[in-house]
Amino acid sequence: MNFEQFLQYIFSGITNGSIYALTALGFTLVFNATQIINFSQGQMVMLGGMTAIAFHGAGVPLWACFLGAVIVVVVISMGLEHVAVRPLLSKGVLAQIIATVGASFVFETAAMIIWGRQALALPAFSGERPIGVAGATVVPQTLWVVGLTVVIVVALQIFYRRSLFGKAVRACAVNPSAARLQGISYRKVVLFSFALSGAISAAAGVMITPISFMSYSSGALLGLKGFAAATLGGLGNPVGAVAGGFVLGIVEALGVGVVSAGYKDAIAFVILLLVLFIRPVGLLGARVVTRQ
Amino acid sequence: MLKLHEVRAGYGRIEVLHGLDLTVRPGEVVTIIGANGAGKSTLLKTISGLVKPSGGSIEFAGESLASLGVEGIVSRGLVQIPEGRQLFGPLSVEENLELGAYVRRRRGRPLGEKLAWVYSLFPRLQERRRQQAGTLSGGEQQMLAIARALMAEPSLLLLDEPSMGLAPIVVRDIFATLRDLNREGLTMILVEQDARIALSLAHRGIVMERGRFALEGEARTLLEDPEVQAIYFGQRKAGNVRAMEPR
Repeated sequence: MNFEQFLQYIFSGITNGSIYALTALGFTLVFNATQIINFSQGQMVMLGGMTAIAFHGAGVPLWACFLGAVIVVVVISMGLEHVAVRPLLSKGVLAQIIATVGASFVFETAAMIIWGRQALALPAFSGERPIGVAGATVVPQTLWVVGLTVVIVVALQIFYRRSLFGKAVRACAVNPSAARLQGISYRKVVLFSFALSGAISAAAGVMITPISFMSYSSGALLGLKGFAAATLGGLGNPVGAVAGGFVLGIVEALGVGVVSAGYKDAIAFVILLLVLFIRPVGLLGARVVTRQ
Repeated sequence: MLKLHEVRAGYGRIEVLHGLDLTVRPGEVVTIIGANGAGKSTLLKTISGLVKPSGGSIEFAGESLASLGVEGIVSRGLVQIPEGRQLFGPLSVEENLELGAYVRRRRGRPLGEKLAWVYSLFPRLQERRRQQAGTLSGGEQQMLAIARALMAEPSLLLLDEPSMGLAPIVVRDIFATLRDLNREGLTMILVEQDARIALSLAHRGIVMERGRFALEGEARTLLEDPEVQAIYFGQRKAGNVRAMEPR
């Protein structure tokens, strides 16, 4: 592998890594508020992409497709919380997790009925003309993906560190009953976490569709990659989720270069297994893994 | 100010509180003492709404608390400091305090003014305001727990074992501050295992036994009560618990 090729793989790794990072963030937000691993997270990403495609097909400008997809998936995610998660609160976390697995099948089947089985595309946000960088090339969409990911991550940090409600959400992750004693509505925080997680997933789905297409079944793999990234970074740690996403994307891309493209997806799961065997708390250590 | 009538509560099918009557007047400090498992913490949790009563009524400032959730109860000025402090460990001292004022975020005194007030009560907290709450010493954590509750501008404070796990000198400091707060008009219900320090602060004391009030009286009277002395100050062998059976 020469340097240009290496750089090319890195670019591709960062692009996919951004999507994994955002999906992992989606997992983390819901997990921190509820201790639930939302196994329909990948389907949220898929629904984001598919909804944007549908809007675009109806002649809506791209930026409005993006916004529309985010809104639709936020509503779906809040619906999921209302229909499948909240009623099972007294049944425990495991029942809720299984409900999200069920929801993933519902989303996937619904998407298949609505959009069919073929992979669909969305035009790139600002053209397809590649830009040369040190002998490698980057499509403009990659810059959009990475740029918007950075914007989202920074905005989230500001929200969690600076705003009172952001601090309240963090407090709920640490100790929900103490948070309630401060007058923080735990229900609102959970609902909000699902909404935010849906918004971020949808954004990821819309951004990646112009690069790698989207079909009704794309969600499962995206979800598992996102989960691997979240675990890699230490489940419950938002910074770790983002770092895990980028590490996973880059390692995967380099693996494609060194080994073979056929093993691309296997690499993620080898990493996931290694993390679980060797360092179950993740690379950055989990802030919240179990709650006292 | 607070009126409990025939309050029953428990967990699942197990009833812990068997019909309690209690009236707390404004400006009063009432302490509830008793052994582990007597139901003291459950009583506080029932008042603050964390545990739903299965019977009876609770009235605060003339309003029934039955239909209010935990958040609604806190916003009316009835604030609980839970057992074991329950701070938000990874958050900074100041963030914990800001969250204490969460319920007053749209009304009440300005945040800066309240921060200055609790920092004047506990100067140590100001020195450590940027530090993670989980890294504080036990005494500092208890100060933070009290300060966080004060940020909600309570009119009635429920304290669950504030002396737990602390060195006697720290306990004396904290109780001195509580006494000052009471002199400024703050009403308190104090649950304690350390009966001596609790009765030294309180006006009235209640001895709780297996979900019932076994003995009530002026704090001074209880301090001198031979039965209380026997059981809680260890001056006699704790064998004759019989004497403490509900009347």
